[in-house]
Amino acid sequence: MTQFLQATVYGLLEGGLLALVAIGFSLVWGVMNIVNLAHGAFVLVGAYIAWKLNTAMGLDPYLGALVAAVGLFVAGYVVQRLLINQVVNAPIWMTLLLTFGLNLLIVNGLILIFSADFRVIHTGWSSDGFSIGGVRVPYGRLTGFAMAVAVTVSLVLFMARTKTGLAIRATGMDRSAARLMGMNVRHVYALTFGLSAGMAGMAGAVIGSINTFSPAAAGGFTLQSFVIAVLGGLGNMWGALAGGVLLGLVQAWGGQYLAGTLVNAIAFGVLVLVLIVRPTGLIGRPFYEARAEA
Amino acid sequence: VSAAGAATGPMPGFLRGRAWLPWAGAVLGVVALCLAPTFLLLDAEQRTLGSVFMFVVLAQGWNLIGGFAGYPSFGNVVFFGLGGYTTAVLMAKSGADFWVTVPAAAAVGLAFAVLMGIPILRLRGHYFAIATLGVAEGIREVVINIPGLTGGNAGITIPAVGEKATASYPGNTGFYFYFLVLAVISMLVVWGVAHSRFGYALRAISQDEDAAAAAGINTTRAKVAAFAISGMLTSLAGAIYAFQQVSIYPERLFSVDITVLMVVMAVIGGAGTVAGPMIGAVGLQYLSEWLRDHLTDYHTFVFGGLIVVAVLVLPMGAVNFARDAWKRRRLALFDSVRAYRL
Repeated sequence: MTQFLQATVYGLLEGGLLALVAIGFSLVWGVMNIVNLAHGAFVLVGAYIAWKLNTAMGLDPYLGALVAAVGLFVAGYVVQRLLINQVVNAPIWMTLLLTFGLNLLIVNGLILIFSADFRVIHTGWSSDGFSIGGVRVPYGRLTGFAMAVAVTVSLVLFMARTKTGLAIRATGMDRSAARLMGMNVRHVYALTFGLSAGMAGMAGAVIGSINTFSPAAAGGFTLQSFVIAVLGGLGNMWGALAGGVLLGLVQAWGGQYLAGTLVNAIAFGVLVLVLIVRPTGLIGRPFYEARAEA
Repeated sequence: VSAAGAATGPMPGFLRGRAWLPWAGAVLGVVALCLAPTFLLLDAEQRTLGSVFMFVVLAQGWNLIGGFAGYPSFGNVVFFGLGGYTTAVLMAKSGADFWVTVPAAAAVGLAFAVLMGIPILRLRGHYFAIATLGVAEGIREVVINIPGLTGGNAGITIPAVGEKATASYPGNTGFYFYFLVLAVISMLVVWGVAHSRFGYALRAISQDEDAAAAAGINTTRAKVAAFAISGMLTSLAGAIYAFQQVSIYPERLFSVDITVLMVVMAVIGGAGTVAGPMIGAVGLQYLSEWLRDHLTDYHTFVFGGLIVVAVLVLPMGAVNFARDAWKRRRLALFDSVRAYRL
């Protein structure tokens, strides 16, 4: 029983981190109809920024996460404005290819700069923790989970309450109409992409302080983001959080009771099944049901 | 055209005018490729050219479903892996001859494409792309987790030489010809599709599926058929590849990179055309080999950069780009960007 509870707690906390990775991915897919295959690479760039700041200046990775978030926001804005905006109206495999090319560039750039070795960011406190009834809760993972919830809440508030958030939602619903209302769609798209990249970078910094990472992990983060975005419904931020927690729990329980990596096969099976049966996601309705394709 | 046609008298339609030129070129090219290993090529060059032909097959396979029908499969590698594992498992576990496993691999690819296509081809756009990707990743995990049959992560080895060999290993020249024959077959299949009612149905689906259905096309049947042919060609390539490699591993045979290469080659060459994917496969595979030889450490990095540039400059493919340039008598490098940008 304790074992089950321990797996549940770990799955829950891990799910929060997965959600932090996937929220931005889901936002970009939902608003712009772009599947960003370089998303996992952004996560790793964040991890390496925090790692470099930690080894060079001794900066705590949770402060490094903020630096990574700002840096990747700027980088994401530029990438969208200069590159992805140029093929937004092309057939969808063009954006898939473009972002895959970016993924190759970033991942191999990281290998050239930092080598393919596994890294981890050491902190004095993140692997410490407390116990409740025999169940251990490490501070690092708890902080990561709290950050995921905080980011989700602030993003929901940002989208609901600010003018910029309104512009992003409006552009996601109907690009032409948004343009006619005087919004600068190129800027709004770049802003959305920047937000997504920034959140990925923040997640990367946190993940780097909990697990080991190497450039080869990029593809795995992107695939997990797919699963979570689809489970939660595209562009639905609460959905991404719920989807992340669900995936984290399934992986933790599967790791306890199933042999080998069979749990991955189940995750992909669930993904395909959800797509076929309920493509709007498991949780609620999609954020941009009213999308009019421009 | 009429004057030329009248002058040449009663000739079959396809020989009139200059329409026979590409045909003569294609026949000459195939003859030259058949003679080349005997007279021209070194062993290593035959191996490289064999891999080029393999990618012609893979790119044409993707072209049928992604280019003609407009369904961007991001999991076509699943057929490659299933074909390869069918051959490897049959040869290693039941001692079957290679030529027995080839039709088996084709049948597995076809059957799996139909089974997977019927539910998944109802999805459109990104949903279809992600679902196919999910199937490919899922099947790879299944293959990893049944080590009794497939050897799991440790891979499986075909008894190709020595006492237990179930077929004589054909060497580089042999595989050169296997891949050449399969490449020619796939070119003929795609040419046949492009010039048939079936091909027009697929193009109609890609333009507007609802309109195609309203015009009386059985869209489900056409899509599943295109996917099945695509799966069969791809699994045949996987079968030959597995025998060539002798030892195969799930990480390699179900690698997303192979899917992406298919897509890049077909799209850069010209998706939905007959010649485009071939040109893309030949060009990119040679480029990739050249980069590997000359920029050992940087080649994947440079390759990624080239994909980005190619997508920005040639979004409609080299073939269509060249055709437009020829018709308008000018090189319009950034016209496509103007057409697709926000």
